[in-house]
Formats: sequence, structure tokens, C-alpha cells
Amino acid sequence: MSTADHDIPAAGPRTGLGTRLWAHRVDYLFLVPGLVIFGAFILWPMLASQYYSLLDWSGFDSRRIFVGLRNYRELLADEFFVAAFWRSVWFTLATVPLQMLLGLVLAVILNNRLLKLSAVFRTLIFLPVVTPVAVIAIVMALMLSPFNGPINDLITGAGLVQRAVDFLGSPQLVMWSLAGIYVWKWTGVTMIYWLAALQTVPDELYEAARLDGVTGRQVTMYVVMPIIAPFAVVIGLISAISALNVFPLIQATTQGGPFFASEVMEVFIFRTAFAPPSGTFPQLGYASAAGVLFGLAIMGLTILQVLAVRRTRRKEPGHG
Amino acid sequence: MIYRRTPMSRRGFLAGASALGIAAAARPAFAQDAAFDFGEPMMDMPAPNGPLRWLDSGDQKGVFFEPFLAEYGQARGIETVYDGLPWSEIATVVPLGVRNGSAPDAFTLPLDMPPAVAIDQGWVQPLDPYIPDIAEWRAGFPAGSFVEGINMRDGQTYGLPFTSDRRSSCLLLFGREAMALTEFEPSPENPLTWDQFRAAARQITENSGGQIPGFIIGGAQVNRWRDVTLQMASRAGAHFGMAGFVTGFDYTDGEYKLNSPEVVGAVELLLAMRDDGSVFPGVLSLNAPQARAFTAQGNAGMILQGPWNVPIWEAENPDFDFGFTWTPAPEGADGRTYTNSLPATANMMFLNADAQNPAHAAEVFRLMGTLEGQTAWANVVGPSDPAIFPAANEQAQMSDRSRAVIALQEQQVRATPVPYSANTGFVEVARLFQMPTPDIAQTVQGLFAGQLTDVQGSLDTLNQAMSDALDAAIEEANAGGANVTRDELVFADWDPMTDYSG
Amino acid sequence: MADATMGRTARAPARREAMVSPRARRTITSVVLAVLCAVWVYPIVWMISASFKTNNEIFGDTGLIPDAPTVENYARAWSEANIGRYFFNTMFVTVGSVVVTVIATALMGYVLGRRRFPGRGLLMGLMVFTLFIPQGYTIIPVFELLTTAGLGQSLWGLMLATCGHSVVIFTLLFAGYFAQMPKELEEASRMDGVGPVKTFWYVMLPLSKPIVVTVVVLQTLQAWNDFLLPLVITLANPDLRTLSVGVYSFRGEHFIDWGGMNAASAITIIPIVILFLFLQRYFIDGLAGAVKG
Repeated sequence: MSTADHDIPAAGPRTGLGTRLWAHRVDYLFLVPGLVIFGAFILWPMLASQYYSLLDWSGFDSRRIFVGLRNYRELLADEFFVAAFWRSVWFTLATVPLQMLLGLVLAVILNNRLLKLSAVFRTLIFLPVVTPVAVIAIVMALMLSPFNGPINDLITGAGLVQRAVDFLGSPQLVMWSLAGIYVWKWTGVTMIYWLAALQTVPDELYEAARLDGVTGRQVTMYVVMPIIAPFAVVIGLISAISALNVFPLIQATTQGGPFFASEVMEVFIFRTAFAPPSGTFPQLGYASAAGVLFGLAIMGLTILQVLAVRRTRRKEPGHG
Repeated sequence: MIYRRTPMSRRGFLAGASALGIAAAARPAFAQDAAFDFGEPMMDMPAPNGPLRWLDSGDQKGVFFEPFLAEYGQARGIETVYDGLPWSEIATVVPLGVRNGSAPDAFTLPLDMPPAVAIDQGWVQPLDPYIPDIAEWRAGFPAGSFVEGINMRDGQTYGLPFTSDRRSSCLLLFGREAMALTEFEPSPENPLTWDQFRAAARQITENSGGQIPGFIIGGAQVNRWRDVTLQMASRAGAHFGMAGFVTGFDYTDGEYKLNSPEVVGAVELLLAMRDDGSVFPGVLSLNAPQARAFTAQGNAGMILQGPWNVPIWEAENPDFDFGFTWTPAPEGADGRTYTNSLPATANMMFLNADAQNPAHAAEVFRLMGTLEGQTAWANVVGPSDPAIFPAANEQAQMSDRSRAVIALQEQQVRATPVPYSANTGFVEVARLFQMPTPDIAQTVQGLFAGQLTDVQGSLDTLNQAMSDALDAAIEEANAGGANVTRDELVFADWDPMTDYSG
Repeated sequence: MADATMGRTARAPARREAMVSPRARRTITSVVLAVLCAVWVYPIVWMISASFKTNNEIFGDTGLIPDAPTVENYARAWSEANIGRYFFNTMFVTVGSVVVTVIATALMGYVLGRRRFPGRGLLMGLMVFTLFIPQGYTIIPVFELLTTAGLGQSLWGLMLATCGHSVVIFTLLFAGYFAQMPKELEEASRMDGVGPVKTFWYVMLPLSKPIVVTVVVLQTLQAWNDFLLPLVITLANPDLRTLSVGVYSFRGEHFIDWGGMNAASAITIIPIVILFLFLQRYFIDGLAGAVKG
């Protein structure tokens, strides 16, 4: 990135902060619109939530009692919070790699201009993305139903299983089934990311490779892949963050059940903040604390991972 | 549902939803012969200040109020806007609307909010200044409609109790074709015992070659497990509160009874039916509307569900021949099922403290508390949300089956005492009470799904946790100056076979 | 990046392609893809088929061909979900938020990706930090802010708030993309005496088309499907509501109008599908160095 940093006016080593700020005045001007949106609709609500997390507050009346870190202490002892936390981690690890791989394969195939119907195929693969979750929930409940559902008919008919499988009702299977539905719904977006990445491969490389007599598969493996590989980090990050937003799908299908078997973090937060047992008050403060704690923990895990990667790299011989 | 003021939009839905089968009518029949007579204004009405806006939780209420308000608006020269929203949205929309002044003139409170809290918050205002003959008007309601601590506060009237909570969400509904596969002929006069219920489910399943599972439940919705278990336990003779901090609380001795033999028996019945293989496969991922749709299709034999199915099925599934009876009870038992108060608090309407058109909203409230208004309601909604005036249900147009369902519920459902009338300090307890996790609904779902295995043990744990949570809430409320004791929740004079009348 | 691209051009050993001609291979690929896509979209075809069924038939017969096809669901969807009136509102919010989001995030990504200004590290850190905290479980602060700004009940407020959802991800996408562009681009324009705004608008933004398209698609999806925020903001003004709020009118606590919901869903996804089909051409034709296969 430093290579792009070319336009700082020549100045003495003792340049004051004011001068540097002034030198970058156009940059700051460019930042204004983004900063306003970021500050108003991301940063501010987040800070507000962090404040709520210190309150005993239902979210709908004006009684807000400041309780300090009590919500956090209670959360750490709440087995359902801990279980939901690991379920979210599991879900992300289960879906993201699959979604990325599937999206990549589809993108590489459908990037071929000579494939006449590629635009149609892309649109078809993209269709689940735009289909409302409420509809998907109904359709999938019927598709996966152990009672005359087409998928069960297929696998029992083929003799793969003896009895119909309760994909969404079995505590052991429900997370796998939801992961499958999730990947199906969102792979279209990942494919778009990869397609966008593929556009950065310069035309000439394909030409050059062809002149050298390289096969299509080899072009993909040795020419295209190294170029788009760096995008994997960004795409993986985006997919991972999106996977934490599986809430609408789960709420519309299993509502976190059976008996919490599919209660991921967002379902936990929703349950405590908006859907308490009938006749009792919601706990927005507690739910906010869960959100903050979850975020911090995920960040901690990510930082640990980055550190671990750096460490192994440093050990590699010859690395600068 | 969100209903809007498009005149034609209602027709299709009305055709489906109305109990009357007046499919072709452009509007629901509020009155038998002609248009609803709104009469003379109850007072010198102020000029409209923008549209009259109304918000409730939709469904059948939307079917009635959207056109009813529109006609009222025509009669009084005011524009009207109706919105019906799911509860999860009301919980957000009403508080935010109140805060920034965009809340409607009349609204329902979030589902979990005791009215006393809304009154303390200054969200709502009393109806007394707007209804000139309010004492007389209140006297027209059946006893128990206005409860201090619920819709009354310091002698002022706040909430409009226009529907009765004398409903059971767990009546036994069944397809006659499926039931013909069994040796039983249930009817309101001839309810099924638990053993017969189980046997019927097994016979339907077996005799249909597995094509019609005997019993279905919307098991993804945990509240269905709570309702089915607690109502069957009530029929077995347990008598306790049904929601909130009094869930499973026995008012006669002040103890929770969630681990009583009645509750254990009800859960074991469900597990036995599961083990028989007579429960619809995949119920743990079905919500209640899906489960009901399967029943009406003849894909499942029996369901424990509410009276609202009757008019819907009659209109949308005219070929579906179905019957209904009491919630099953064990051999020799004939308990009732319970509601926490006679008026349905979820339907109760309140007047916005900052209403733009308070007089108009109050006039609609007043109309809903007259025999004419109540009859208009019953004509459209039938047994789904029974009118609170028994006379209105009697003279309304509805199918014999609908009338019979209301009659059965008159026998089956009883009102428990109301903690808030004993001491309004219990509002604080309700606010502070932290429901244990898993609660009764989740526990039963876990037992059914097999993640929990020890029925008695799980329920013992739950019962103790409920009791501890109540003590903690009382202690905390008292620390805040509420001044309540657990003894005040004992109503030794309550006969569980009758409504508690205070 | 650019260096790596050129340097690592693989000179893999030339090996003759298998017997099959490229054309035949493409045909086989197409057939395989067609089968895959058929399975892939089966649930959606089912939804469309269900939108022509009565509520009764949806649960009675799970086959694809309706017994007695009816368009009544569509008539009901059109009026009940107020599609005519709400379409304009949705378009306003969607188009507005897409334009604002693209410009704001491209500008911010450009500066973050290419300039070393004081405060850059802080801003980057802050943005990455917010990525991890789950958003959207309470709209209370957003709504209070809009109300304070006097936008709590206007389409403009809704449009602006809709921009917020993914602004960090989009900015990071742009930043990553701009960071790897050769610096000669700007130098050339500076030589020509072109100002920074014009350089950005005429040189940099057009070059970032893949990211722009990605952002347009994702932001459109976001704006099109957002539900709770539009609902709260338009509560007092039903005339301002959006399609997603309209589609909700088919779901109640006790009753769900399955047919109506399927029909309304079908109607509301059509514009997105058309948009997608249309935007794909930018992938293929629009880029300077377009891939030729």
C-alpha cells in the first residue's frame, strides 16, 4: 500500500501535525460522507448497545437501572450463552469453506464467455439469494419433511436409509441441515465475489498462456488462482461475517430448536431481547451484553489466529 | 398482518376468513340486515386532527376493524388507518412510536407488558373524560371485565376489554374421516380420555397404513408444548396460572405445581404417543400454522388447537369434515382449563396519551362495549375471539359448530384470581421475575425431542427454579418499595371449578 | 500485487488437450450445469408453482403442476401488499441508498487504500472492530438518532439509515481494490493537471467497476429486503411503506396466507432478477481488460 503513497508534498522532517493534516485536506474531504454514515449508523448504535449492556432494562420502558458488569458476569455462567457461542463458531466453520469453494468452482466455470448460457446459469444460481427467507422456510420444511418430503422419498427409495430422516427435527442433524440450506441460499453471492475477482485477471495472461499451449485447467490452476488468491481473505472475511447473520433463516425454520439444538448467538440474543417466555419481560440489557461479549470473543479468536499465522511464517526460512 | 385501507383488498381474505361464508359480499356483515348503525355521536365531537389511527395484532381483528373503522370514518367524516402487526414488531413499534409521537391513537400494548407499566410510563390515558356515560357503559359488561390492576387504575378506566379469554388453545380438533378409522366417536358430550386419545392416535396411524399420522402439533413453536401440557394437566385436576410468573402457580396453596403428577402424566402421554409412532413425523420443525394446514388437508388425524380454526376451515376447506371436543382428561377426571383473566389482555385496546383524535378513538371503544358493537364483532369473528358479551355471541350469525365451540369453552375455561388485584405491587414482581431457562415449554420440547430424558427430574428442577425465581423477584420488588408477600398470592376461597370473582 | 501478477505467469508444460473438442466440452459442461441448476432452483420453481395454487392445495399436493391454476393470489398480492404504491417508495430507498453507498464507500475506500493520512490507522482499526460486533439486534439508537435529526418519519431518513448496514465491508472492499492499482494512474492525471475529484470520478471509480457492481448488487438486496426499519419509520405514514413491509401482510400470528405470500414474493423478486441479469453485462463487457476466455 505504501507504494501508492506518492502525493505527500515534499516537506522537511520536522513537519508539524497541522501541516500534515492540511496537506491531506482533500483526503479528509473525501472521507466525510462515509464517516457520517459509519458514525451514525454503525458506530453510534454499537456504542449505545455497549451502554445498554450495563443496564437492567427491558427495552420498552423508561426504567433503566445501571448494574455495571452484572450482565457480563451472569452471561459467563449462562450455559445457554456458552453453547450458543460455540454453535455460532461451528456454523461459521462449517459453512464458509464450503460456500467459498462452491462459489469459486461455479465462478470459474461461469466466467467462460463462450459458454452461451452462462448469464442464465448465473442468474439461476443467484435466485435463492433474492428469495425471501420466509418463503424458503416453508419450501424447505416441505422438501426436507420426513412425511412424504421429496428428499426423503428419494433417499428411502434409493435404499440409502431405512427410515425417513427428520432433517430439521433431529437434534443431531438440525445444524447440518441448516448449514446446507444456508450454503444453498448464499453461494450465489460468493460466486459474485469470485466473479468480480476474476475480472482482475489481465486479458493478456490468458492469451499468453494459450500461445504457450497451456490447457484450460492449467490456466486456471497456475495463472488464475495465484492472482485471485489474495481475494480469498476478503471473501472469507465477508462470508464469515455474513454467516453470523443466519438469524432470519433459523427463526423461520426451527426457532433455535429442538430444545436449543440450533440456537446460535443471534437467536439467543433475539430470544432474550424480544421473545421472552410469554408474560415475562424481555432483557435488552442482557442481550446487549451477549452481543458485546460475543463480538469481543470472536475478535480475540481472530487475533490469536492472525498471531499464530505470523509466527509460523516467521519460522519459515528465507522469509523477509 | 398489516391491513391497509384498500377497499377491494379485504374481499378475498374476508371470503376466506369470515365465519359467515358471505364470500361475495363487499364488506363483512356487521349487522344482520343493513349497514351498521353508528347512531348519533356520543358527544359534541371535535374536528378531526389527521386520520384516526388504530394498531393491534391483526388476524381476525384486522378482518373486523379495518372495514369497521372505515365505515365509522364515513359516518363521522374522519379518515381512518388500520395496522395489524405481529407481536414481535409491536414490541418495538409501540414504544418507539410513543417516544417520537408517531404512535397511533389506539393501540395494544406489547404482549409482555402489564398495563400498569404503560400507565406509569404515561403512554396511555383514561377513557373517563371522553365517554360521558362511562359508569353505565361499564355496567353493561359481564362481571370480571374490568379488573383493578389490569385495565382499571385508581377507579379510572384504561383498557377496552372487548373480547373474552374464555378460550382454550388446546381443544381436540379432528377430521371425521380419520376418526372413522378408530373405535371412538368423540363429541362435546363425549370427550376422549387420555388413554382413548392415545389409542385413537395409534389406530388412525395404523389403520391408514401410516398415511395419516394420528396426532400433529406445531412443535417448532415452544409455546405449543407449554399450552398442550398445562391444559391437559389442568383437565387432570391441576389448577394454576397459565403464563408469566404465575405459570404453574397454584393459587389455593401458593406453590408451583409444575412437577405434579398431573403435569408429569401429561408429558408422559405425549412421549408415549411419540413412542407409539403416532405423532406426525417432523413436528419439531413445523410451526402452528403449518401443523393446522396439514390437519385441514386430512394429512394428520388430530390436533390440540384453538377455536379460531373452526371458521377458517369451514370457509377455506369446505370439504373437510371435522369435529371437536374437550381437551382430553384422564379417566375419571373432569378438571377445567384456566385463563389468567376473563378479558383477553392481548386484545385489550388503550388510548394513546398523545392521541390526535382521542374522542373518536374513545367513541369506537364505546361502540365496542355496546350490544350492537359486540354483535357486529361476533358476526364477523365468531368463535375465534369470542365477544365478551354472552348475549352478542348468542344473537350473532355463525355456524352451529362455531356456536357449539363457544358453548364448550364456556364450560371448559375458568378464570383464575389476578395477583395484581390483590396487590398492585405484583406488577413490579412481574417486571423483575426472571423465567428460568429452560422454562416449561422448552423442557417439554426437550423431553419430546429426547435431549432431556428424566421427566420427573427435569420438572422437579424446573419447579424449584420457578419458586426460587419468584422469591428473588419478590425480594427485589420489596427492596424497591413494592411491599408484597408470597402469602398474598394464596386465594384460599377460590373454587377452581368456577371463575374467581374476588 | 501487480508485480506478482506479471512475475508468476505460469509457463506450465504444454500438454495436448484431451480428445474432446472445446465446443463439445462446452456442451457437456452446459448440460451438467443445466441439470445442477434445475435441482438448485427446484425450491424456487416450487414457490412459483405454489403462487398459482390455492392455500388448500399447497399443503395437500406438493407436486409442481397446480390442479386448477389461479391468479387470484397475484390479484390479492397486488392490492393487499399495495405493490403499486409501495414500488415507488422501495425504488426511491433502494436507488438512493445505492448511489449514496457507492459514492461514500468508494471515496472512503480510495482514501484508505491509497493515502497515508494521520488518523488512518485509528479509522481502520475502528472499522474492523465494528465488523465483529453483531449489529441490528436493536434499532432503538438508530431510530432515536433519526428522530433527533428530524428524519424519523421520512423516506430520506429511511434511505440514509439503509446505507448503514454494510458500509464497513464495502469500504474495505474498495480499499483493498484501490490499494493494488498502479500509482502511475494518478500521476498521469496529475501531470495533465486534473484535480483530485476529477481523477477519482473519471479515472479511479470507473476502474473499480467490479467492486462497484458487487456493492450495487449487495446494497440493492439489502435495501430491498429490509423490514423492521422501514416499518418503524413509516408507522405513522402508511403511504411511505416499502414492498417488504407489504409482503408481511400475509403473515399473521394465527393465519398465514401462503399463496398470497408466494405470489407477493414472486412479484418482488422479479425486479431484482432483472437487475441482476442486466448488471451481469458489466461484468463481461464493461471492463477495460475484460476476460475473453
